[in-house]
Amino acid sequence: MALAIAALIATLFWSILSAAAGQPPGTSRADIGYLIYITTLQAALSTVLSLVVGIALAWALNRLRFWGRTFLIGLFASAIVTPGLVVAFGLLSVWGRAGWLSGLSQSLFHVPLDLPIFGLGGVVAAHLILDGAFAARILLARLDAIPQARLKTGQSLALDPWTRFVVIDWPALRGTLPGLAAIIFLLAFTSFPIVLLLGGGPSVQTLEVAIYSAVRLDFDLGLAVKLALIQIAICSAIILATSALAPIVSSLDHPAVPRWRDAGTARVLQWGVLAIATLGFASPLLAVLIDGVSGLGDVLSQRAFWNAVATSLWIGAASAVLALMLALIAAAGRASATSRLARTALGASAYAYLAVPAVALSLGAFLLVRNLGVAPDTAGPIVVVIANALLSLPFAMATLAPPFDAIARGRGKLIRSLDLSGARQFLDIEWPLIARDAGLVLALAFCFSLGDLGVIALFGTQDFVTLPLLMVRAVGAYRTHDAATIAALMLVLTVAAFVALPKLFGRLADAGR
Amino acid sequence: MLAVDDVIFVYAGWPDSYRFSMEAAAGEITAVRGASGAGKSTLLDLVAGFLVPTSGSIRVGGADISALPPERRPVSILFQAETLFEHLSAARNVALGLPGERVGSPRIAAALAEVGLPDIGAQRAATLSGGQKQRVALARTLLRDKPVLLLDEPFSALDDETRAATRGLVQSLTLKHKWATVLVTHHADDISAIADRVYLLENGVLRAA
Ligand SMILES: Nc1ncnc2c1ncn2[C@@H]1O[C@H](COP(=O)(O)OP(=O)(O)OP(=O)(O)O)[C@@H](O)[C@H]1O
Ligand SMILES: [Mg+2]
Repeated sequence: MALAIAALIATLFWSILSAAAGQPPGTSRADIGYLIYITTLQAALSTVLSLVVGIALAWALNRLRFWGRTFLIGLFASAIVTPGLVVAFGLLSVWGRAGWLSGLSQSLFHVPLDLPIFGLGGVVAAHLILDGAFAARILLARLDAIPQARLKTGQSLALDPWTRFVVIDWPALRGTLPGLAAIIFLLAFTSFPIVLLLGGGPSVQTLEVAIYSAVRLDFDLGLAVKLALIQIAICSAIILATSALAPIVSSLDHPAVPRWRDAGTARVLQWGVLAIATLGFASPLLAVLIDGVSGLGDVLSQRAFWNAVATSLWIGAASAVLALMLALIAAAGRASATSRLARTALGASAYAYLAVPAVALSLGAFLLVRNLGVAPDTAGPIVVVIANALLSLPFAMATLAPPFDAIARGRGKLIRSLDLSGARQFLDIEWPLIARDAGLVLALAFCFSLGDLGVIALFGTQDFVTLPLLMVRAVGAYRTHDAATIAALMLVLTVAAFVALPKLFGRLADAGR
Repeated sequence: MLAVDDVIFVYAGWPDSYRFSMEAAAGEITAVRGASGAGKSTLLDLVAGFLVPTSGSIRVGGADISALPPERRPVSILFQAETLFEHLSAARNVALGLPGERVGSPRIAAALAEVGLPDIGAQRAATLSGGQKQRVALARTLLRDKPVLLLDEPFSALDDETRAATRGLVQSLTLKHKWATVLVTHHADDISAIADRVYLLENGVLRAA
């Protein structure tokens, strides 16, 4: 199975390579050097700032106790599935020239606010909102996992807030930072919808956006292939460089929390960080919802909208189920594999996708389909489902591999002595234990697919349109109200799926016992 | 020195309640025995201030400390593990005992010498053996110089020989500095070797044994 995944990715890769060999070089004047520079620059800025914000926010959330804290943490956790398009759009609604703040300044001081929201600033800000919240959630889990005895020792020693951070918190965070930085860098490096919306033309692009324009706007396949190869090379290098680092262990449980508040300036600072972060994160999302409601009637009466809803839902559901199946098989195989090599290979095949990002992967599929002589229209839906499933596989594996490993470690002997095997073993023993995680995987995959623009951008046609594509077209046609409504709907759908699916599966498993 | 007077405690949402009464004299080792889960650590958490009693009083040298937060209580506490911050040097770990203390100060050198480890100040805590770690933690306690020392199974991870040596050190420091030392353990040999007084915790009630 893992071999099949690897083979699939290899085939797509190969079709890119063979296309590269067949194309005459240098048909376009695009400045590849600048493209790499600006992609790297925005990714590096996004990474550094996200880590700083993530550390500060995790620190504040770890210390403060208040009504609604769990909800707020859940909100930040949902950053991982919030579509980039939605955030970019919300950012425009708040900070843009016709946005809330500008309106406020207009009515107060009679001057509109003109912030440089298009270009590097906007792109980095949008990444910061998503990845800063994501980093905070991961880092908070590390802080919450600090052993009680260490905290008690520190509290009894009356460590001041700064020494406490240096002596107790920092060592707990330090190990996670390199891996987290690599993930955020890759996410920002391969960012597509945010850069498409906020990049402001050729001045700030990512390789992904450049590949997309090369294929869809300039019809320059040779350039697209070249860019895809560069992107794959850089991403692979980063993954290889960081694969030696300890992986990030994600944990979503709630350990007992000790009451050790900081006093004085530190506490004021914590409330400040929390307030700014919450405003910064929630205001764009709120703006999307509010703007969305105002245009609701118009959009709901459009047939194209309902077609896109239907397409998005079935593509999302299909790729979620496919991603779950792939991840289950790979995780179960990995846990039961006896040789180290097999374990590593099964783990790596899932992560390989991180190196072959959305647009590059779909470019490969696009070329493959073309070479096979199939019309892209026919192949479109299937390719989009498969590509979206692969897109969520790293996260699906990261979620499912630990519980499977734990089952294999803790119950391996028991299972063997009872002589359960195959499907019986899965249904009786593993399923009830992983049902919640399986729900989480379905939710993640559904949300990723729902928000995906990179794949659909290459395969979308007049009749094959998902919500993100419809939204981008609405933006392109200056139908801002329509776009806002679509964004609001996407936001509601993703958050609902992200909250409801894991709960639902947890219940089902409990009821089945 | 330390007097726990009819302290009643209930974990929120749990049915069982605990009732503790005990006294620990200065310069003596008071042992608390009890099965796993009996509530021994709960008692130390109450004295150290990590838990707040439902009723009753905890006094040190006559003054009621039950309203003080942990960082202001006149106690030092040592656990079985996590006593030292592993990535810091031994000297820095000791220095944390007194706010503002410099790593190079002569008091730190003296404290390390007193626990029999004069030469390991610069070594990272992670590289020390289990027995050495507990000694460094005791050196930190020397610097803090609080009248009450709480020990939560501090010898459990040590081999027999190291265990006996560390035990001896605790005994001599307690005598010399007139600490009221409370030792939680479920090892009978710890008790016969160094305890001056023994309490038994059973069914949520602490009584002299
Ligand atoms: N935060 C808590 N909430 C509820 N119950 C708790 C909590 N902490 C401990 N307990 C329970 O209180 C009881 C006593 O715990 P305690 O840690 O004091 O026992 P102990 O005597 O120190 O045991 P051990 O020898 O295993 O360390 C145990 O049953 C434990 O499960
Ligand atoms: Mg205990």
